[in-house]
Amino acid sequence: MKGNPESVPRAGNQGLAGCHICEKVAPVSVVYCPRCGSHLHLRKPDSIARTLALVCAAAIMYVPANMLPIMSIRELGVTTESTIVEGLVEFWQARSFPIAIVIFTASILIPLLKICALLWLCAASRGLVPHSAKVLGRVYWITELLGRWSMVDIFVVAILVTMVQLGNYMVVTPGPGALAFAGVVILTMFAATSFDPKLLWDQLEREAADADTETNTASE
Amino acid sequence: MRTRLSILSWPKPKGGPHHAVCHFCDTLHVAEPIPEGSRVNCVCCGATLFQNRPASLVRVTSFSVTALLLMGVVHTAPFISMDAGGMRTVLTLPGAAKALIDDGTPIVGFGVALFTIITPLVLAGGLAYVCGPLMFGRSAPGAMFVTRWMSRTEPWNMIEVFLLGVLVSLLKLGHLAELHFGIGFWAFTALMFCMAAAVAAIDKRELWDRLEVAGGT
Repeated sequence: MKGNPESVPRAGNQGLAGCHICEKVAPVSVVYCPRCGSHLHLRKPDSIARTLALVCAAAIMYVPANMLPIMSIRELGVTTESTIVEGLVEFWQARSFPIAIVIFTASILIPLLKICALLWLCAASRGLVPHSAKVLGRVYWITELLGRWSMVDIFVVAILVTMVQLGNYMVVTPGPGALAFAGVVILTMFAATSFDPKLLWDQLEREAADADTETNTASE
Repeated sequence: MRTRLSILSWPKPKGGPHHAVCHFCDTLHVAEPIPEGSRVNCVCCGATLFQNRPASLVRVTSFSVTALLLMGVVHTAPFISMDAGGMRTVLTLPGAAKALIDDGTPIVGFGVALFTIITPLVLAGGLAYVCGPLMFGRSAPGAMFVTRWMSRTEPWNMIEVFLLGVLVSLLKLGHLAELHFGIGFWAFTALMFCMAAAVAAIDKRELWDRLEVAGGT
């Protein structure tokens, strides 16, 4: 019985929707949740289109986020600009490996994996790639959970800009890369919330129905 | 007698049977009451359907009130100060946001203020406002409205991410200058744990069921 989309009742097929905010189950025909008044939807509206649009925007922003300096350091009149990767290399060369790994994970790996994961999820829910809805459901959950940690680089810039204001000796100012990077993080967070994992199971159900009709026509 | 309502078992709204829909696979379940401290998983995909967290209202209220008090300390006491080149600079949360706004990236500055000051304040304040009266079976005016907004702001609370940012910055600055940890820093660390504990204690279904039973608006 487990994992078989045929054998369990699905709320959507009975016109029932779970409220996104308060989890009350109500018929979708009443439009607004009888308990908390939020708009009821069977599936998140335009889920795939919205997710794709936000992910594409994030992927475009990812380029300037890594190419442009996120901060510039003026030390004794000499200005050096530093991108995310340069900051990372600096930690690595200073042999601070744990912190280098943390920064690599938070600012390079997580945004990249998030963009790939969301594209994969969109493709899977359209049936373009074979998938296990159970595994991808977990992927989605992790994607949603980890997204916030990418903001750490922005906070580091904010803290350095505040603290390193030492007149002629040393001054740190934020660079244009910081804006682009914050954009990537925020856009991928919105993209993750606009994706609806139920679409993965809808696709499985469609595939099972197609297989059924095929076997039926074959037996006739 | 009224004070004991908070430790009474999870009340169920009138009517029924009550249903629960899995967030991931849309499987419809009949939601039976479950004992405290246990959880129910979806029969189809195995994700957690809902759980009954013990003493959730009491824990949420106490941790969020503590968080609010700590926020007062965090924003007034010195956080970290740095002595270098005969000068002293002091870090505060509003100061970090203001420095970005003044130095030409106002959007990022507002983002920092939003994620580290406003969202935690809304979240902790909202939780205390909703769960405090609910412990006595009362619903504060507009409690449902506040709870709705809280569940929207929850993912944007980045207190713990900011603390990681502080640690990374300290490693960058450590060799450069002499750093002093103020009371604000320790209060902030405690604040992080309080916010995490408060959010982890929220029992969404129980909270909404209690709100409905209390007749909230």
